[in-house]
Amino acid sequence: MKMSLISAALAAAAVFGAASGADAHGPTRQKVSETIEINAAPEKVWAVVSNFQDGSWIPVVAKTEGTGGNAPGAKRTLTLKNDATVEEEVAKFEPEKMTLMYRIDKVDVKVLPVTNYSSWLIVTPADGGKSKVEWRGAFYRGYPNNDPPPELSDEAAVAAVTGLYKAGLENLKKQIEAGN
Amino acid sequence: MRRPRPEAPALPSPRPPAPRRAAAALLAVLLAGAPPAAGAARADEAFVTSQPAETLSVVDLASRRVVATLAIAGKPAGIAVSPDGRRAFVTSPDGKALTIVDAAARRVERRVEVGGGPLGVAVHPSGSPAYVADWYRHRVVAVDAASGRITGEVETGDSPSGLAVTPDGALLVSADRDSDQISLIDTASLTRLGTIATGKRPFGVTIDAGGRRAYVANVASNDITVVDLAARTVVATVAVGERPYAVALAGGLGFTTDQYAGTVTVFDLATFAKKAAIPVGDYPEGIDASRDGSEVYVASWEANTLSVIDTATLKVVKEIDMADGPRAFGLFVRRTD
Repeated sequence: MKMSLISAALAAAAVFGAASGADAHGPTRQKVSETIEINAAPEKVWAVVSNFQDGSWIPVVAKTEGTGGNAPGAKRTLTLKNDATVEEEVAKFEPEKMTLMYRIDKVDVKVLPVTNYSSWLIVTPADGGKSKVEWRGAFYRGYPNNDPPPELSDEAAVAAVTGLYKAGLENLKKQIEAGN
Repeated sequence: MRRPRPEAPALPSPRPPAPRRAAAALLAVLLAGAPPAAGAARADEAFVTSQPAETLSVVDLASRRVVATLAIAGKPAGIAVSPDGRRAFVTSPDGKALTIVDAAARRVERRVEVGGGPLGVAVHPSGSPAYVADWYRHRVVAVDAASGRITGEVETGDSPSGLAVTPDGALLVSADRDSDQISLIDTASLTRLGTIATGKRPFGVTIDAGGRRAYVANVASNDITVVDLAARTVVATVAVGERPYAVALAGGLGFTTDQYAGTVTVFDLATFAKKAAIPVGDYPEGIDASRDGSEVYVASWEANTLSVIDTATLKVVKEIDMADGPRAFGLFVRRTD
């Protein structure tokens, strides 16, 4: 019963998406920000998070393939451990501010229930030679039309991205601190 | 037709939880209590919607300070201040409502349930009605400013977004985002006179002071369509930064908010030559000019700032901190004299 509702909702989303174009989206862009402190120098943390061609610090990622390095316009395709893929592109690369901004060009809402997604990775110095990493996101929910089903609502989108960021940052911390 | 809800209670103070919001409210109270300088005319104000924060902030443009903050439920996005400065009209897409604000008293007069997905809003030069674009039901509704009654509606293309009215009040223009066109609507009869093809995904639309040209920001084709309203022809297509959202006009120049580029592109309105790309906070969205054209104000949704651009030097001269997610989609500068 529940599955059929989800399928119907996804089918509806696909139909409306086709009718009104890939850029159609919900009314209210959402924001998520997660931060973690890592016991390593900012340069060392930045070297990992700014390497757009290696997304292995994100736990769900199995493989990264791409072109263009870290420069604006650089592309990567993340293959996830469940075989789904996410296509992403660098929007801004600002090493002087230790800030990387990138967007998702293509993802199925069944994988991540968002559209028009951008995110930022920002490294700043913390006390005692440590680092602070902030992962920010801006996106619309997966359902472009009014009155979304719960699986594709604003809340579902925020929950999915928050979960991704928390898990990613915790794994980043673990990986870098283990290498110290 | 849907009946509007009776007058909603005013919500004088912002929601309490975030410390930053509380600090802003305290600041607003402190500043509101301070008397204006003796003999000085009050400066104009910016009425800025902050979508995730669910507030409407009033910024005194001379002192560059937030002087009042109102709670507006339903993720407020669109804004239109009446030319006489009396009222502000705020759309809440998530609340499916239009909130009518007494601008001088900083008080919610009423909240009108308009249904659908209210986003773009514009007000007739006489101060009423307010026109609200319904993103989902592909129409514009007219709302009487004093009573809050819905007095009419008119069909548009798909997902109407930005709205603008000519200074003589005769013509309403809607940017029909998912039809790649603008609709021209006769305000007296609320009938659609015709459509004009634009670039891809037109979002914001701005009409010049003479009512001659409309400037339409095309989000997906990264350009501005310039339309001669009388001839109903496209005069020019101007390439700007990535994902232009809206346009402001000042001192013979056009200023566009380029959402993805994080810039304001400046172009000459006579030659259409590009003059500058001014870096501002990420996701610049709402943009409006001061009445004298000396400044342009830009709300940056991601950076939580209102940037002040000097239109002579084309530099950012001030970044004013705003509540989370400033959007201010529409004409948000209010005259106070």
